Amino acid sequence: MAVQPEPDYSLFTAQEIEFVAEDELIEIVPNMRMDPLNLICGDFGPFLPQIAARVPLWLAVALKKRGKCTIRPPEWMSVEKLTRVLEAERDSEREFQSLPFHYVEISRLLFDHARDDIPDIYMVRSLIEDIRDVRFHKVQSSLETFDGRTSAVQIKSLSAMEVNIVRPFVARALQSFHKLDSLLPDTDSMPNNQPQEADKAAKGRRVLRGR
Amino acid sequence: MKIRSLKLREAHKPPAGGGGDGRPSLCSVLWDQQAHHLVTASSSDPAISIHDALLPSSPPRILRHHRDGVTALAISPNSTCLASGSIDHSVKLYKFPGGDFQTNVTRFTLPIRALAFNKSGSMLAAAGDDEGIKLINTIDGSIARVLKGHKGSVTGLAFDPNGEYLASMDSMGTVIYWELHSGTTLHTLKGIAPNCGSDFSVINVLSWSPDGETLAVPGLKNDVVMYDRDTAEKLFSLRGDHLQSVCYLSWSPNGKYMATSGLDRQVLIWDVDKKQDIDRQKFDERICCMSWKPIGNSLAVIDTAGKYGMWESVIPSSMKSPTEGIPNSRSNNSNGLLLFDEEDEEDEEPSAAGSISDPGEDSFGESGPPCRKRLRKKSTYDEHWEEDDNDELSSPPKPKSRKGHHDKKKASDNGHEGLGSIMLSARSKMQDAFQPGSTPVQPGKRRFLCYNMIGSITTIEQEGYSHIEIDFHDTGKGPRVPSMTDHFGFTMASINENGSVFANPCKGEKNLSTLMYRPFRSWASNSEWSMRFEGEEVKAVALGTGWVAAITSLNLLRIFTEGGLQKHVVSLDGPVVTASGFNDELAVVTHSSDCLPSGDQVMAFTIFNISKSTKAMQGRLPLTPGSQLMWFGFSEEGLLSSYDSKGLLRIFTIQCGGSWVPLFSASKVKRSDESYWVVGLNMTNLFCIICKSPDLFPQVAHKPVLSLLNFSIPLASSDIGAETLENEFILNYTHLSQIHHKMEAAAQAGNDVTSLEDDAFNVEAAQDKCILRLIASCCNSDKLARATELVKLLSLEKSVRGSIKLVTALKLPNLAERFNSILEERLLAEKGPKDAPALNIKDTASTSIAAAAMAEKRTEAIMTSTTPKLSAPLFIKKVKSQEGTEVGSSDKIDEDVNPSIPNVGATKFKDQKNAAEANGGGEIKKRGHVHELQSECPSSSFPKSMDNPEKIKNAGQAHRQPPQRPSNPFLKSAVK
Repeated sequence: MAVQPEPDYSLFTAQEIEFVAEDELIEIVPNMRMDPLNLICGDFGPFLPQIAARVPLWLAVALKKRGKCTIRPPEWMSVEKLTRVLEAERDSEREFQSLPFHYVEISRLLFDHARDDIPDIYMVRSLIEDIRDVRFHKVQSSLETFDGRTSAVQIKSLSAMEVNIVRPFVARALQSFHKLDSLLPDTDSMPNNQPQEADKAAKGRRVLRGR
Repeated sequence: MKIRSLKLREAHKPPAGGGGDGRPSLCSVLWDQQAHHLVTASSSDPAISIHDALLPSSPPRILRHHRDGVTALAISPNSTCLASGSIDHSVKLYKFPGGDFQTNVTRFTLPIRALAFNKSGSMLAAAGDDEGIKLINTIDGSIARVLKGHKGSVTGLAFDPNGEYLASMDSMGTVIYWELHSGTTLHTLKGIAPNCGSDFSVINVLSWSPDGETLAVPGLKNDVVMYDRDTAEKLFSLRGDHLQSVCYLSWSPNGKYMATSGLDRQVLIWDVDKKQDIDRQKFDERICCMSWKPIGNSLAVIDTAGKYGMWESVIPSSMKSPTEGIPNSRSNNSNGLLLFDEEDEEDEEPSAAGSISDPGEDSFGESGPPCRKRLRKKSTYDEHWEEDDNDELSSPPKPKSRKGHHDKKKASDNGHEGLGSIMLSARSKMQDAFQPGSTPVQPGKRRFLCYNMIGSITTIEQEGYSHIEIDFHDTGKGPRVPSMTDHFGFTMASINENGSVFANPCKGEKNLSTLMYRPFRSWASNSEWSMRFEGEEVKAVALGTGWVAAITSLNLLRIFTEGGLQKHVVSLDGPVVTASGFNDELAVVTHSSDCLPSGDQVMAFTIFNISKSTKAMQGRLPLTPGSQLMWFGFSEEGLLSSYDSKGLLRIFTIQCGGSWVPLFSASKVKRSDESYWVVGLNMTNLFCIICKSPDLFPQVAHKPVLSLLNFSIPLASSDIGAETLENEFILNYTHLSQIHHKMEAAAQAGNDVTSLEDDAFNVEAAQDKCILRLIASCCNSDKLARATELVKLLSLEKSVRGSIKLVTALKLPNLAERFNSILEERLLAEKGPKDAPALNIKDTASTSIAAAAMAEKRTEAIMTSTTPKLSAPLFIKKVKSQEGTEVGSSDKIDEDVNPSIPNVGATKFKDQKNAAEANGGGEIKKRGHVHELQSECPSSSFPKSMDNPEKIKNAGQAHRQPPQRPSNPFLKSAVK
């Protein structure tokens, strides 16, 4: 989706991002028998007791709320995996470890609704918080390196929530830089109609065009 | 209390220095089991003396094999073997009572201080100043285990008579309970006995009571302290007139009395139950060893100067004899294998008889030595088995074979052959009874008593009781069952939709084997019931609709109704292995004989139909060589299946006249670090819990999740490299034959088979798809003959045409031609019989018109019906006729073919196929057979192709829906 280069960027609220994240698939272990569900996003099921099935997160949460299933936490949500990710995050200055795009939202939803299904929930929770902090700190520090010449920012493996937080700032900052640049005489070599790159779900590269 | 003097005779020279003034030496004295011989030894004398108790005046037999003083003696429980340990670091075995030296069993790096045989004699424990206790297999002299944990030198060893534990004691007064099964320390009691330091003429000893319930240890307060068998808690102490600490103690054979000797040179006799001393004797020297005569009322004593003597009539005649009522060990009751009990007794007869005939024996005034002896022996062997189970150690050396078949083993056992080893090999391989879906006991952890496709029953043992929980997988369907407290100690359980059944083995006399049934829903308030079994023990339980089955140690199958009515008691052929119920059917697996010499088990299964009170099936249960049965049960469809420890799942099908078919082989799918714990299966999948090695079974703590695995038949790897397709091919055939079988059954019962036919059609379509792909891979690897065979197996005409297209595309014109001719042949064959009956049976115009109409509408028909194949087998005709009807001219043809069928009957059926089937069950059967056997005959034909609605539409006459279709031949004209 392309972000309109207007002063008030269309931002997502955390709830909206969470809503988007609910489409991610997750494994559940139902404790009831149910025929397959034919949904717009696909067919899920059949559901047999004690046999794992993959369903969207929203469905998993809905079933969980009714006590019809247990959610199997995704593989990356284990203590050892997260510990490794956290260490790697701390070790590398600029690199971001690959985590699911919606890791913050998924873990949040699971902590809220399926706390009994996650082994070592406190450990997992604090690890994820740590990872989030470390990563956000990295984002901030990389933003500090902005200068007048910066016309684009490229960060790989940034997650939805993280990009959502920095998006307004980065966009505005780049725009202001650009504006200031264009005030300087004869430096405005940049054509006004530079091809506008789409914001590829914040993962890719975003070029912001001033006017 | 009167003090009598006891005359002691010198057996061993006192140590250098002469007289009684020398250093005290540790001497030992031991009776053999028959009380014929008394063995003495001294730590200052390398010789061992075997005194004949019957001829006290004759000189003892002297064994001089050790190079230094003998510190420890032990006689195997069957009195055929004597072991001695010495300061010269060696442990030697002798034949008994002959005294022939047999072998140096083991060597230590330091002196030996203690020896003990276990109750079966299969194991010898030896320990001393070395740091470990060696458990030695007496058969081959191998070291089964080394138990390390003592800090000082080990001076006392005692095997628990029930074969579970070994207690050991060191010179610092520490007692350790070892679990023999695992070799782990159960309890460590530090400093509970006097510290004897380095004076090896005084050693700490300990002794289990003959019933194995208490362990006696010399205490710190000149007393003897009793410790509990299981908890190692202090129970009570015998405290009295010992002025110094106790240095030796010995239980009377019946466990009622105890003799203790103290450093104060007196020996006290205690009544253990009353905790009172009843007699005492002062000696000149300290008594360092005592041994109760196994038969009679006397105690052999030996002092530190090497003088031994016999204390006769120890227990006053007013009290019970010390040998009266020798207890059986408690495991005796838990042994359900009658077969072996008998063997035991048989085997003991000679020795028992021998003791009766012995004139010297009678003088001891025993009430009934032979029967007591037999009793005792029996428990010995019971012990033995239990132990073998646990330890897989071998059996007692027994030089003389009594039975012919023992001779076989002679060579391999290095002359130590014996009954025990035979029984061991049998016993260690014939598996015990188990419940499908149960996991073994793990201390402190919850375990599954039952886990099946419906739910699970778990239990955890707490102090004195267990806590049982019942969960359903489908929480919506099953009722919520409150957890229960179980005072019985249930070890078997089964669950289905209606209720759960529990059973426990008997533990001792007060805890009888109990069967309990709990219905989940019942209109009556107290519909839970339980049954108790006296002298009998439940070995396996199973549940079905409205019945409960329990199989007991007496090989009785007991059927109860849901309400608790005892409905049937049936004797089974052999000891039960397991049982499983499904609706009306109960399947029981029994051992049908001892293991084969190769070690393979021989099992048989029986299927009972409980509601009809019939035996539905009986046969051998196949097992992979060298494997054990791990799971046994029914599939969701009610097919009997088994899974063995080699990872092969078998299912009982009607294929090949009723055979077990291996449907899944773990070795085909298995990743090396996984094992599969089977829970159930249906027609297409296996439901199992995947356990990461080394676990072989799931834990309750992490709620296990079922995984679906596809079947994988153990196929040979073929040259076309299409294993998955070949696998699918066989599976489809199995499936198809299953459906046909069901259809047949349903048709016979007059039930509707439409849905089954749909299933069959789907499977046939899938099978054709699979065959087409197989044809492709055959063509690719140039196996044209095989491709041709495959084409003949296609069931839909469309598929045959597809195969022709396929080979044409693959540029195999030869093959295409061949396929074409096959197709033609089949169409012809199909046409012939169809027309033939029509023409033959009815000459009426109507029939011929119908036939003509059919011929017309078969646009693809290549051959005309000019050459009807009347010689075609009956089933072809049947199928054809059926097909003809499907083509849709009308039921008439059907009726034509089988004019004898009453119209009334025909009306019942919703479509022609049903009618056709009903009309000729026999033919249908044959047709099914054709499918099953994968007959190459083209007559497997196209029964379905004619279902094609297109064709029906093509029919000259409008084809009405089956229900409205006229089933009356008279209506023919109307159709016309």
